[in-house]
Parts: sequence; structure tokens; C-alpha cells
Amino acid sequence: MNATITLWIVAVVVLATLALGLAGVRGVRMDPQEYIVGGRRIGAVLLWLLLAGEIYTTFTFLGAAGWAYGKGAQAYYILCYGTLAFVIAFFLTPAIHRIARDRKLLTGPDFFTERYASRPLGALVALLGFAMLVPYVTLQLSGIQILVRIAGFGKIDPLLAVGIAFLLIAVFTYLVGLRGTAWAAVAKDGLVLIGVVFAGIVLPSHFFGSPAGALDAVLHDPLHPNWLTIAGPTAPNGITWVISTTLLTACGFFMWPQSMAAVYSAKGEDTLRRNAIFLPFYQLMLLLVFFAGFAALEIHPGLKGPEADQSYMLVVQQYYPAWILGIITAAGVLAGLVPAAGQLLAAASIVGKNVLADYGIARGDAAQTLATRLLVLVVALLAFGFWALAHTTLVGLLLIGYNGITQLFPGVVLGVATRRPSALAVGAGIVAGLIVLIAFAILGIAQVDGINGGVVALAANVALLAIVAAVVPANRTAPAALPDA
Amino acid sequence: MQGRTTAVICALIPFLALTLGVALANHVEPRVLGLPFILAWISGWVLLTPACLWIAYRSTVR
Repeated sequence: MNATITLWIVAVVVLATLALGLAGVRGVRMDPQEYIVGGRRIGAVLLWLLLAGEIYTTFTFLGAAGWAYGKGAQAYYILCYGTLAFVIAFFLTPAIHRIARDRKLLTGPDFFTERYASRPLGALVALLGFAMLVPYVTLQLSGIQILVRIAGFGKIDPLLAVGIAFLLIAVFTYLVGLRGTAWAAVAKDGLVLIGVVFAGIVLPSHFFGSPAGALDAVLHDPLHPNWLTIAGPTAPNGITWVISTTLLTACGFFMWPQSMAAVYSAKGEDTLRRNAIFLPFYQLMLLLVFFAGFAALEIHPGLKGPEADQSYMLVVQQYYPAWILGIITAAGVLAGLVPAAGQLLAAASIVGKNVLADYGIARGDAAQTLATRLLVLVVALLAFGFWALAHTTLVGLLLIGYNGITQLFPGVVLGVATRRPSALAVGAGIVAGLIVLIAFAILGIAQVDGINGGVVALAANVALLAIVAAVVPANRTAPAALPDA
Repeated sequence: MQGRTTAVICALIPFLALTLGVALANHVEPRVLGLPFILAWISGWVLLTPACLWIAYRSTVR
């Protein structure tokens, strides 16, 4: 009975949100410009939601609470990096937008193709982005699976539910493109806000009198000493790790192809600057998510490893009526599905544009839009396969993707400048960074003296870039070899 | 040019506060509004960062 009520609420809310997305693009004719970057006419409010979509994913909804639950204060890094990412964005994104508009860039990798006059570099960046987006989409799937399992009280097959959800989102993305995704984000963010306020304020107040009461309970819990402060510099995941990871992920934040697409889609540079100023406020919602995680630790202790991702959802399931569980689950499912739509679109568009179209495999607007749409389905299937085969924690999946995508940061920053290094130097740096990351992954190294391994990879990247740039002078024969798309 | 300098300084402040500052503020006491000091410090800077960026904006644009 309970499971029926919850799942009906989830189904109705999800379908209504997708309908909103469809309504948002009614009468809009789809060409690559419109499909991938919303015709570059996305105004301040929709842009805010697109950019913020990156913050409110399943990762925030479940993973951040899971970290507060399972690991304590090191979860604070999420609050720090999101804020600093917007400081970087304030300076970097208007310049990227200006170049993208002047040169009619469509995808993140186009930036590399154009600025370094190299199609192979663009293709390399596209393939890297594609590879890093698969674990990110998988993260959303794992989150949805957790939610559906809890909401269904174990009575429905999560594989089936995730399969349906994903088919739905793949078809949705196929139809609506970026603008429709932004419209779906409107409903998603509203609902997530309700869910987060409930989990972070109402729930802890109910059990401990106030959110601060939940923190007090954690402080006095002998099982979790020093849970609310970050461990020392040499400890694993201690303060050195927190600072290095904050810096690394802040640099990586806008390197994702879907973030670059959001930057391109803005109406103007000033829209981006004003968004960057106010977006840190959105981050405060994470504080409530931490409260929820800490409260769950005291109400429902004993979850180990990846189970911690379920933290407060289990509390909601046990202590609250089915309709509340339904609404919160729906918010969480949307927090997975809507960003997944943006990520599918980004992964598909970069391969469709920078590999298929730029190398003449898909010619003309119609062929390119069709190729991108079909690739959306391919990426969805890949992520679904990856999800069915490999199960990891949400944070683990996110950090894999971030370490890889951050390798693009030097190339983007230098690409804004008037004097730029050669494509070879940038490409060599990216490859060096990836080799370090792959070696670390094989050897099982995540941290070097407490520093996040991704920082070491980024250092190798910058070092090789500098060496090659010194040896091979930049080719100043730009404008680039961008074919007429 | 002077506006640019102001903007860069405004950007550096949140960076220092949310990296080195976090290392220095890593304590439970004194509590602020019931929050451990470290969490209050980070949240405070999340709120102050828009102010820093606003100053940077006013000093560079127009």
C-alpha cells in the first residue's frame, strides 16, 4: 500500500516535469545551434537554473549527505569548491562566451579546435569529455536506483525502474535539447529545494529540537569523535586533501562539456557575470544536506560504505508517511534525471560535432542534429551498461570524472589569452595528466602525502605543456580549421 | 587598471578564506548559531563571496 502511494507520486511528478520541458520547446525548430546551445538566447533566470543544475544533482541530494554520514567533516569540501568555482567563473566565463559567440562555437571541444587551430586536439578533448561523462551519468543512475529501492519498500525491481527512468530521459533529451532541459530544471530545483529543507530542517528539528541539536548529538557521540572537524594534514582525507580537492574541483567545475554549453547558451557576458555573483548563495542548500546526513547518523546508525548514501532517506521511509517519502523521492529522482539529460546531451553533442561532423562523417545541419540525437541513445545505453556492471559509491564516481575533466583547465585558461601555446603542447599536457591518472587508478593510489592524486596529474599536465611549449613554438596561422557546420 | 587590481584582490580573498582559512578555522569552538566554528566559517564565506564578486563587478564593468 505504502509503496503504491509513493511510486504513484514519483511517477506523476516526474512525468509532469518532463511535460514542462516539452512545453518549453513547443514551436521551436531544431537545428544544431538551437538543440545544443539553445540558440544562444538563454536569459538570466533560465541560465541560473542551467548552471545550478550542476549543483543539485543526485550527488548533492544523496552523496553529500552520505559523506557527512560516513566520513564527517571532509564533506565540507563540497561547500568550498562550489563557491570558489563561481569566483573562477566570474573571470573566465565571459571571455569564453565572447570567443564562442564571435567564432560560432557549439561545443566545449570546439573551443580547443578554434583556439589552437587543431581538429585533432578538439577530437581528443571530445573523447575525454565523453569518457568522463559516462561515470557521471552512471552516478545519476545509482542514485535513482537507491531512491527507487527505498520508495518501493523493496517490492519492485530497481533494475526495471532504472531502465524505465532512463529510457524516459533518453527520449526526452532526444526531443527537447538544451532549452527543454532548462525548463525541466525549473520544476526540479523547486522540488529539490522543498526536499532539502524538509530533510535538513524539519527532520532534525523533529528528532533533536533543531538542526544544531543534531550537530550536538554528533559531537557527544563517543562512536564518532572529532566528526565535525577536518582531520590533520597527514591523515587520509585530512585537511591537505580537503584543500587540494577544493582547488582541483573548483578548476574542473566549468570544464564539463555541459557547463561549457551552458556558458555558450547565455544571452551575454553580463548575464554570466551576474549569475556568477549570485550562484554561491545556492550552495548554502548543501549545509542543509549536511544537517540531514548528520541527523541520520544519530537516528539510524550503522550504515557502512556505499550504504551511507541512503542515510536520511531511510529515516524518512521509517518515520514519515508515504506521501512525504513520495515527494522527496520524486525530488531526488528528478535531481538525477534532469542533470542526466544535460549530460547525455553534452556527451552526444561533443562526439557528434567534434568527431563525426568535423571529420566529415555527418555532413550538414540535419545530419548533425540526427547524429547527436542518436548518440544520446548510445550514451544512455553505455551508462546503463556501466551501471549494471560496476557498482561504486556516488562520491567515488564523481571524483573519477572530476580528475579527468580538470585536465582541460590549462588549455581553457591559456586559450582565452591572445598569445597561446601550440596545440601539441596542450594535447601533450592533457595526455600526460591522463597517463598519471590511469597509472594511479591501476596502482590504487588516490592520495600522495595527503594531496589529491588529481592535483599531481594536473601538475604533470602543466609541466609537460610548459616543456613542449618552450621547444615547439606556437603556430600563429589561426583562424582555425573549423569547417562550416 | 586600478579597477582590475581591486577585482583581483576581491577574488583572492574568498580563495584564501576557503583554502588556508579552512585549515586555520578547523575548530568546534567557539560555536556560532549552534554550528561548529569551521562550518560557520565556511558558510559565512559562502555568503560573503557574492559581496566580494559584486565589488569586483562594480570596479571593472562601467
